Amino acid sequence: MDQSRIRNFCIIAHIDHGKSTLADRLIQETGAVSTRDMTAQHLDTMPLERERGITIKAQAIRLTYKYDDDKSYQLNLIDTPGHVDFAYEVSRSLAACEGALLLVDATQGIQAQTMANIYLALEHDLEIIPVINKIDMPAAEPERVAAELKQAFGFKDAEILFASGKTGAGVHELLETIVHLIPPPKGDPGAPLQAMIFDSKYDQFKGVVAYIRVMNGSLRTDDRVRLMQTKVEPDVLEAGYFSPVMVKSDSLGVGEVGYVATGLKNVRDCRVGDTLTMASNPATKALPGYASQMPMVFTGIYPSEGDEYPALREALSKLQLNDASLVFEPESSAALGFGFRCGFLGLLHMDVIQERLEREYDLELIATAPSVSFDVELTDGTRIHVDNPSKLPEPQRIKTIFEPWVNITILTPSRYIGGIMEMVTLRRGEYVKMEYLQPAQSDNAANASQDARVMLEYNIPLSEILVDFHDTLKSVTSGYASLDYRLIDARASDMVKLDVLVNHEAVDALSLIIHRSYAESQGRQLAAKLKELIPRQMFQVPIQAAIGGKIVARENISAMRKNVLAKCYGGDVSRKRKLLEKQAEGKKRRAKMIGAIEVPQEAFMAVLTLERQQVSRH
Amino acid sequence: MTRPAIEQQSIGLYVHIPFCETKCPYCDFNTYSGIERLIPVYVDALCEELRRWAELFPSHASRTVFLGGGTPSYLPPGDLKRVMSALTGGFPLVADAEVTLEANPGDVTQERASGWLDAGFNRVSMGVQSFDDELLTLLGRRHTAAQAIDAFEVLRRAGFTNRSLDLIFGLPQQTLQQWIDSLERTLELSPNHVSLYGLQIETGTPLEAFVRSGKVPQPDDDLAADMYLAAREKLAEAGYRHYEISNWALPGMESQHNLIYWRNEPYLGVGPGAHSSMLKHRFANMKSPRWYVRSLGFEVPADGILSLAGSQPRRPDLPKSTPGQIRAMVAGGPVNFVEQTTPSLELAETMMMGMRLDTGVREADFRARFGKSLRDVFSREIDQMLAAGLIEEDADGIRLSFDGKLLGNEVFGVFVAAAESMLLAE
Repeated sequence: MDQSRIRNFCIIAHIDHGKSTLADRLIQETGAVSTRDMTAQHLDTMPLERERGITIKAQAIRLTYKYDDDKSYQLNLIDTPGHVDFAYEVSRSLAACEGALLLVDATQGIQAQTMANIYLALEHDLEIIPVINKIDMPAAEPERVAAELKQAFGFKDAEILFASGKTGAGVHELLETIVHLIPPPKGDPGAPLQAMIFDSKYDQFKGVVAYIRVMNGSLRTDDRVRLMQTKVEPDVLEAGYFSPVMVKSDSLGVGEVGYVATGLKNVRDCRVGDTLTMASNPATKALPGYASQMPMVFTGIYPSEGDEYPALREALSKLQLNDASLVFEPESSAALGFGFRCGFLGLLHMDVIQERLEREYDLELIATAPSVSFDVELTDGTRIHVDNPSKLPEPQRIKTIFEPWVNITILTPSRYIGGIMEMVTLRRGEYVKMEYLQPAQSDNAANASQDARVMLEYNIPLSEILVDFHDTLKSVTSGYASLDYRLIDARASDMVKLDVLVNHEAVDALSLIIHRSYAESQGRQLAAKLKELIPRQMFQVPIQAAIGGKIVARENISAMRKNVLAKCYGGDVSRKRKLLEKQAEGKKRRAKMIGAIEVPQEAFMAVLTLERQQVSRH
Repeated sequence: MTRPAIEQQSIGLYVHIPFCETKCPYCDFNTYSGIERLIPVYVDALCEELRRWAELFPSHASRTVFLGGGTPSYLPPGDLKRVMSALTGGFPLVADAEVTLEANPGDVTQERASGWLDAGFNRVSMGVQSFDDELLTLLGRRHTAAQAIDAFEVLRRAGFTNRSLDLIFGLPQQTLQQWIDSLERTLELSPNHVSLYGLQIETGTPLEAFVRSGKVPQPDDDLAADMYLAAREKLAEAGYRHYEISNWALPGMESQHNLIYWRNEPYLGVGPGAHSSMLKHRFANMKSPRWYVRSLGFEVPADGILSLAGSQPRRPDLPKSTPGQIRAMVAGGPVNFVEQTTPSLELAETMMMGMRLDTGVREADFRARFGKSLRDVFSREIDQMLAAGLIEEDADGIRLSFDGKLLGNEVFGVFVAAAESMLLAE
């Protein structure tokens, strides 16, 4: 395809702003998939993606569009995840594009992730087309949202498009604008091949399939290519593009987006971010790779049955092949046995990985409460990273603990400012600034539905937003606020280790590193929760919380007094026998034996439901 | 393994009557209200099933008979008599056979009671459930405490010397004092036999939904344990033997029929959903009364309410070992569940049922049945349970300890799990 008739673009949007539906509409409008074959949200192929309405993996699809000048254009749409946790994938996709559609929901306006994504797009120097979506909705306020776009990013009226992925309104105009505004790819067709790998997957018939964007040169089937980082030289078994199924096309030219089947058996040999070049005529330099992202959230993941450890390792390795941001290393816990300390980009990322492990690999897991990575300066002057509370050295060996802080941006209707301030302050947050996205409407300030939208910025310890922050924000703002965050620095904090003893035995997997000011109140709450969650045993079981060896809370699980089937007659024998079998077996599943006590999975996550108590106020 | 011929020949007979005037909110039994028009043809079907089994098991006698449900007393005495004639025609009663009818207090009249005696019943088990009218309302029962007291007296006057009554404890909102009052009123009636059931909230029942939605408070397990202890004390003082976890009897008045279940001896159940244990197999009939009637060759009355709701029960997968008699009743009858009682299942079930009795599992019985001693098979489990104080052991065998009776599942579970993991010679 003539380079001048190629357009590579992506869609960036806050979660639920209709990205996948609009993408479906573009696919349909250009005839890539017949109406009969359309399934809703064509690009979200993982069941988990469809269920949650989120995009986790990047996808690419080629559309053929006849512009008004009667020439065919090749539009490559690269679908990207919208969530902040997947910013890494977003930046990979952005690097393969010259333009981006900035999609904003006409009923919701700009959200925190919209801000984050647009800054990413600007960093990549992309042409941005603002599109206000869902204009068919009864609650749509396109003018208001347009005003926000103008105020926040300086767009002009004429630049803003209006569309509905659902009805198809504005889609034709959108396609024209893509051709008209997004620049064709640059690049030298005669130069040695340089193609960027922006994603890869393993296919059992074709081996590793690399998703590529050709920056310079071209490639054909049967070419021997070289991966510049790993120096592996596979043959191109097949080249082609996605429509959205894989379509063979013998060659990929400069500026084009498509795939290369390598026959490689190991995805590690074909890393995302690597550059593909020709073995016989290699480029001198690799394309700039991506800055690798550091995991921010850590948790211990253990198989609930010890013998599933190898299967868990295998599953994590497989997931890591397509997700470089997932890190893991073996660890062991006295309570949980052998497992892995896993690092994630954020909580959603953690959730998604856990769910994929359970669903796609059929594993039963026990996960410990999430933690951040602390930078600990010891009295002997050495510094260590601690991402597992049970690994925190004795207090007397510690000089200073530094904890990571983030800068958070919250977009909210102004009426919720008070509630947000309060919840942020309770979590040690510091106010940075507040900006109105549009001038406050003084004439009808009393009308709550019309109140102005505000961008709030705070600095706050990452550990404070790990657990329940998002949910609390949602409830404080009736779901109207959105949140984004970025790491800023690490600060010295008065942190302590809270230990939990079950039946006088410290349970390493239940330890937490938390701020001293509410360690005691959380210890009390945790003991009370565990009392509810740990089933009664045949003897009394004390639950204690301790800070630095000092017991700060105690609860007793009283002994089980009654557990007997009242009725068992002739009709019940098989059924009751199976019930007893299940009870006996159920003790083993999703629970761990701590000494003689069976501790269920939920207990390890109990910390997620603790509330901040307003210690400073009493 | 050999068993005395007499046991092969004399069995327990259970007859299921799946009709109730109203269905109680805590009940998850196979019983229905609003299908009374099915009763006549249902009785025909029962008689037919009994006739067919008798052909397949000639020369078998009834050691005990138990009509349960549902509400057997809800059936007209004439129908009960027809069922009993078919039953004794096929499976003659042994001398002194215990023949029990389950009755609701509201169904008991002098005239009916005489009819029951005439039909051959010599024992009535009455579902009183509580002597507190408020709790009876909560339970969805249609009788009052006063009615229950009267009914029990009517039975005595009619000539029933063997009377049992059932109560439920651990009810939502029930206090310990209310329970003690109910126990005292029970003792005033001097029944020969008492069944006291701790309420279990069964999944899928209206009561479960009430508790889940908070309409009815969650019953307190600790309080239920206290009620159980109070009952145990009171009944012991009054001379009752606590012979099974939930059952008490004056000496010699234990339920012979239920002992068959607890001793893991053979029985035959007829009627929809009824279970049997014969020829080293457990098997059961389809649950739907309508499909049951049809499976025995009777037409279900054409009537909106009585149309065959639900799809036809599917044919079960039969174990290879299934005996011809059972196969015949699968092919042209109501049986649609068959499970082979392998030696390890027999072991598990013998333990789980036997440990419910105050006599526990007796060394002599165990040895006669399995050719080994209890210690040969369960030494580790016995030591574990002894250490936990849940069982006692002596030369006669093993049984639940005083404390173990409240924690029976802990014991049953250990034996069931151990038995099933054993690979015994099939």
